[in-house]
Amino acid sequence: MGLPSTVLLVAGAAFLSHAVYSSYEHALLFSPSISSGNKHPLPLDIVLELLVSITVLCAGIVLAAPKLKPISWRVWAREKETEEKNVNIRRRKEEDAGLGAQVGNPFAGLEDGSRRGFLDVRGARKAFAEWVREGGGGGRS
Amino acid sequence: MIDERELAINPIVQDSVMHNAKTLSNIRSLTASLFGVAAGTLGLESYPGFLFYFAGTLVVSLFVFALRAEARPKEFFYRPMMDLWAGDVVGGLSGFVLTWTLFYGLVRA
Repeated sequence: MGLPSTVLLVAGAAFLSHAVYSSYEHALLFSPSISSGNKHPLPLDIVLELLVSITVLCAGIVLAAPKLKPISWRVWAREKETEEKNVNIRRRKEEDAGLGAQVGNPFAGLEDGSRRGFLDVRGARKAFAEWVREGGGGGRS
Repeated sequence: MIDERELAINPIVQDSVMHNAKTLSNIRSLTASLFGVAAGTLGLESYPGFLFYFAGTLVVSLFVFALRAEARPKEFFYRPMMDLWAGDVVGGLSGFVLTWTLFYGLVRA
Protein backbone atom coordinates (compact mmCIF):
# COMPACT_ATOMS: atom_id res chain seq x y z
CA MET A 1 0.00 0.00 0.00
CA GLY A 2 1.71 3.10 -1.24
CA LEU A 3 1.31 6.75 -0.43
CA PRO A 4 -1.20 7.62 -3.22
CA SER A 5 -3.65 4.94 -2.17
CA THR A 6 -3.41 5.96 1.49
CA VAL A 7 -4.06 9.60 0.62
CA LEU A 8 -7.04 8.63 -1.56
CA LEU A 9 -8.48 6.36 1.13
CA VAL A 10 -8.17 8.93 3.92
CA ALA A 11 -9.60 11.77 1.80
CA GLY A 12 -12.42 9.55 0.52
CA ALA A 13 -13.33 8.37 4.01
CA ALA A 14 -13.40 11.95 5.32
CA PHE A 15 -15.63 13.16 2.49
CA LEU A 16 -17.87 10.12 2.77
CA SER A 17 -18.45 10.53 6.51
CA HIS A 18 -19.11 14.24 6.00
CA ALA A 19 -21.62 13.54 3.25
CA VAL A 20 -23.41 10.83 5.24
CA TYR A 21 -23.60 13.04 8.32
CA SER A 22 -24.91 15.94 6.21
CA SER A 23 -27.65 13.80 4.77
CA TYR A 24 -28.50 12.59 8.28
CA GLU A 25 -28.87 16.20 9.43
CA HIS A 26 -30.95 16.95 6.38
CA ALA A 27 -33.22 14.02 7.14
CA LEU A 28 -33.57 15.22 10.76
CA LEU A 29 -34.49 18.75 9.64
CA PHE A 30 -37.15 17.75 7.17
CA SER A 31 -38.01 14.32 8.62
CA PRO A 32 -39.21 12.72 5.36
CA SER A 33 -41.05 9.95 7.22
CA ILE A 34 -43.60 12.38 8.68
CA SER A 35 -44.03 15.12 6.09
CA SER A 36 -44.70 12.47 3.49
CA GLY A 37 -42.87 12.04 0.27
CA ASN A 38 -40.08 13.67 -1.65
CA LYS A 39 -40.86 17.31 -0.93
CA HIS A 40 -37.29 17.89 0.18
CA PRO A 41 -34.92 15.77 -1.86
CA LEU A 42 -31.28 15.54 -0.86
CA PRO A 43 -29.44 18.76 -1.89
CA LEU A 44 -27.27 18.44 -4.96
CA ASP A 45 -24.02 19.25 -3.15
CA ILE A 46 -24.46 16.36 -0.73
CA VAL A 47 -25.24 13.97 -3.58
CA LEU A 48 -22.20 15.13 -5.51
CA GLU A 49 -19.95 14.89 -2.45
CA LEU A 50 -21.20 11.38 -1.81
CA LEU A 51 -20.61 10.21 -5.38
CA VAL A 52 -17.17 11.83 -5.58
CA SER A 53 -16.09 10.35 -2.25
CA ILE A 54 -17.27 6.89 -3.34
CA THR A 55 -15.31 7.17 -6.58
CA VAL A 56 -12.19 8.35 -4.75
CA LEU A 57 -12.49 5.50 -2.25
CA CYS A 58 -12.88 2.96 -5.06
CA ALA A 59 -9.74 4.26 -6.74
CA GLY A 60 -7.92 4.04 -3.40
CA ILE A 61 -9.06 0.46 -2.81
CA VAL A 62 -8.04 -0.60 -6.31
CA LEU A 63 -4.64 1.05 -5.90
CA ALA A 64 -4.14 -0.55 -2.49
CA ALA A 65 -4.79 -4.04 -3.88
CA PRO A 66 -1.75 -6.17 -4.74
CA LYS A 67 -0.59 -6.17 -8.34
CA LEU A 68 -2.09 -8.71 -10.70
CA LYS A 69 0.17 -11.44 -12.03
CA PRO A 70 0.39 -12.36 -15.71
CA ILE A 71 -1.29 -15.70 -16.39
CA SER A 72 0.58 -16.57 -19.57
CA TRP A 73 3.41 -18.92 -18.68
CA ARG A 74 6.05 -17.29 -20.83
CA VAL A 75 5.38 -13.76 -19.59
CA TRP A 76 5.29 -14.98 -16.01
CA ALA A 77 8.49 -17.01 -16.38
CA ARG A 78 10.35 -14.09 -17.92
CA GLU A 79 9.26 -11.91 -15.03
CA LYS A 80 10.51 -14.52 -12.56
CA GLU A 81 13.87 -14.74 -14.33
CA THR A 82 14.40 -11.00 -14.26
CA GLU A 83 13.42 -10.65 -10.65
CA GLU A 84 15.83 -13.42 -9.76
CA LYS A 85 18.60 -10.82 -9.81
CA ASN A 86 17.23 -8.69 -7.03
CA VAL A 87 15.38 -11.49 -5.35
CA ASN A 88 16.62 -10.69 -1.88
CA ILE A 89 15.40 -7.10 -1.90
CA ARG A 90 12.14 -8.23 -3.39
CA ARG A 91 11.61 -11.05 -0.93
CA ARG A 92 12.03 -8.67 1.98
CA LYS A 93 9.60 -6.22 0.36
CA GLU A 94 6.97 -8.87 -0.29
CA GLU A 95 7.28 -10.24 3.21
CA ASP A 96 6.66 -6.73 4.49
CA ALA A 97 3.61 -6.48 2.28
CA GLY A 98 2.36 -9.83 3.57
CA LEU A 99 2.23 -11.39 0.14
CA GLY A 100 2.86 -14.97 -0.80
CA ALA A 101 6.10 -16.62 0.22
CA GLN A 102 6.89 -17.89 -3.26
CA VAL A 103 9.29 -15.51 -4.93
CA GLY A 104 11.73 -16.11 -7.72
CA ASN A 105 12.04 -19.03 -10.08
CA PRO A 106 10.30 -22.05 -8.57
CA PHE A 107 12.57 -24.34 -10.59
CA ALA A 108 15.79 -22.75 -9.38
CA GLY A 109 16.52 -25.89 -7.38
CA LEU A 110 16.73 -27.89 -10.60
CA GLU A 111 18.99 -25.56 -12.49
CA ASP A 112 22.67 -25.88 -13.23
CA GLY A 113 25.07 -25.97 -10.34
CA SER A 114 22.52 -25.71 -7.59
CA ARG A 115 21.15 -29.27 -7.60
CA ARG A 116 21.64 -30.34 -4.08
CA GLY A 117 22.51 -33.99 -3.62
CA PHE A 118 24.00 -34.34 -7.10
CA LEU A 119 27.59 -34.16 -8.16
CA ASP A 120 28.32 -30.94 -10.06
CA VAL A 121 29.59 -32.77 -13.15
CA ARG A 122 30.11 -29.70 -15.28
CA GLY A 123 31.98 -27.91 -12.53
CA ALA A 124 34.18 -30.95 -11.98
CA ARG A 125 34.89 -31.28 -15.69
CA LYS A 126 35.78 -27.61 -15.93
CA ALA A 127 38.16 -27.90 -13.00
CA PHE A 128 39.74 -30.97 -14.55
CA ALA A 129 40.20 -29.19 -17.89
CA GLU A 130 41.79 -26.30 -16.08
CA TRP A 131 44.11 -28.67 -14.28
CA VAL A 132 45.08 -30.39 -17.54
CA ARG A 133 45.73 -27.08 -19.25
CA GLU A 134 47.99 -25.98 -16.49
CA GLY A 135 50.04 -29.07 -17.10
CA GLY A 136 48.89 -30.66 -13.91
CA GLY A 137 49.43 -34.11 -15.38
CA GLY A 138 53.18 -33.48 -15.17
CA GLY A 139 53.94 -37.07 -14.18
CA ARG A 140 53.97 -38.15 -17.82
CA SER A 141 56.70 -36.95 -20.10
CA MET B 1 -10.20 -29.60 -29.32
CA ILE B 2 -8.89 -26.21 -30.37
CA ASP B 3 -8.94 -24.86 -26.82
CA GLU B 4 -6.85 -27.68 -25.41
CA ARG B 5 -4.30 -27.27 -28.17
CA GLU B 6 -4.12 -23.54 -27.55
CA LEU B 7 -3.46 -24.25 -23.86
CA ALA B 8 -0.71 -26.72 -24.76
CA ILE B 9 1.01 -24.12 -26.91
CA ASN B 10 0.47 -21.18 -24.54
CA PRO B 11 0.21 -22.67 -21.06
CA ILE B 12 -1.25 -20.57 -18.26
CA VAL B 13 -0.10 -20.34 -14.66
CA GLN B 14 -2.79 -21.54 -12.28
CA ASP B 15 -1.25 -19.70 -9.32
CA SER B 16 -1.51 -16.36 -11.08
CA VAL B 17 -5.09 -17.04 -12.14
CA MET B 18 -6.04 -17.75 -8.54
CA HIS B 19 -4.14 -14.73 -7.25
CA ASN B 20 -5.91 -12.44 -9.72
CA ALA B 21 -9.33 -13.88 -8.94
CA LYS B 22 -8.71 -13.46 -5.20
CA THR B 23 -7.53 -9.86 -5.65
CA LEU B 24 -10.58 -8.98 -7.73
CA SER B 25 -12.93 -10.65 -5.27
CA ASN B 26 -11.40 -8.67 -2.39
CA ILE B 27 -11.84 -5.42 -4.29
CA ARG B 28 -15.41 -6.34 -5.15
CA SER B 29 -16.49 -7.12 -1.61
CA LEU B 30 -14.87 -3.97 -0.23
CA THR B 31 -16.42 -1.68 -2.81
CA ALA B 32 -19.82 -3.41 -2.66
CA SER B 33 -20.30 -2.37 0.96
CA LEU B 34 -19.23 1.17 0.04
CA PHE B 35 -21.88 1.30 -2.66
CA GLY B 36 -24.36 0.11 -0.08
CA VAL B 37 -23.47 3.09 2.12
CA ALA B 38 -23.99 5.46 -0.80
CA ALA B 39 -27.25 3.86 -1.96
CA GLY B 40 -28.72 3.89 1.55
CA THR B 41 -27.70 7.51 2.15
CA LEU B 42 -29.15 8.58 -1.18
CA GLY B 43 -32.37 6.86 -0.18
CA LEU B 44 -32.61 4.65 -3.22
CA GLU B 45 -35.31 2.01 -3.21
CA SER B 46 -35.80 -1.23 -5.14
CA TYR B 47 -34.60 -1.24 -8.76
CA PRO B 48 -32.68 2.08 -8.74
CA GLY B 49 -30.59 0.71 -5.88
CA PHE B 50 -29.61 -2.39 -7.81
CA LEU B 51 -28.96 -0.32 -10.91
CA PHE B 52 -26.70 1.87 -8.76
CA TYR B 53 -24.80 -1.23 -7.66
CA PHE B 54 -24.29 -2.46 -11.20
CA ALA B 55 -23.16 0.98 -12.37
CA GLY B 56 -20.73 1.07 -9.45
CA THR B 57 -19.27 -2.34 -10.28
CA LEU B 58 -18.76 -1.14 -13.83
CA VAL B 59 -16.78 1.83 -12.51
CA VAL B 60 -14.69 -0.48 -10.31
CA SER B 61 -14.05 -2.76 -13.29
CA LEU B 62 -12.88 0.28 -15.23
CA PHE B 63 -10.52 1.19 -12.39
CA VAL B 64 -9.12 -2.33 -12.29
CA PHE B 65 -8.82 -2.33 -16.06
CA ALA B 66 -6.92 0.97 -16.09
CA LEU B 67 -4.88 0.81 -12.88
CA ARG B 68 -4.18 -2.87 -12.26
CA ALA B 69 -4.53 -4.62 -15.63
CA GLU B 70 -2.65 -1.87 -17.49
CA ALA B 71 -5.38 -1.86 -20.17
CA ARG B 72 -4.33 -5.36 -21.25
CA PRO B 73 -6.87 -7.62 -19.50
CA LYS B 74 -6.02 -10.51 -21.81
CA GLU B 75 -2.70 -10.80 -20.03
CA PHE B 76 -4.18 -11.13 -16.55
CA PHE B 77 -7.53 -12.84 -17.04
CA TYR B 78 -8.22 -16.00 -19.01
CA ARG B 79 -11.63 -14.78 -20.15
CA PRO B 80 -11.64 -10.97 -19.64
CA MET B 81 -15.39 -10.68 -20.23
CA MET B 82 -16.30 -13.23 -17.56
CA ASP B 83 -13.44 -12.81 -15.11
CA LEU B 84 -12.87 -9.06 -15.10
CA TRP B 85 -16.08 -7.31 -16.18
CA ALA B 86 -18.55 -9.79 -14.72
CA GLY B 87 -16.29 -11.47 -12.16
CA ASP B 88 -17.77 -11.82 -8.68
CA VAL B 89 -20.49 -9.22 -9.26
CA VAL B 90 -23.15 -11.41 -7.65
CA GLY B 91 -20.85 -12.29 -4.76
CA GLY B 92 -20.72 -8.67 -3.60
CA LEU B 93 -24.48 -8.25 -3.82
CA SER B 94 -25.19 -9.57 -0.32
CA GLY B 95 -22.73 -7.16 1.26
CA PHE B 96 -24.26 -4.37 -0.77
CA VAL B 97 -27.80 -5.12 0.43
CA LEU B 98 -26.55 -5.39 4.01
CA THR B 99 -25.05 -1.89 4.18
CA TRP B 100 -27.75 -0.48 1.90
CA THR B 101 -30.52 -1.40 4.35
CA LEU B 102 -28.39 -0.45 7.35
CA PHE B 103 -27.67 3.07 6.13
CA TYR B 104 -31.17 3.56 4.79
CA GLY B 105 -32.45 2.78 8.26
CA LEU B 106 -29.81 4.91 10.02
CA VAL B 107 -30.15 8.03 7.90
CA ARG B 108 -33.86 8.17 7.18
CA ALA B 109 -35.54 6.11 9.83
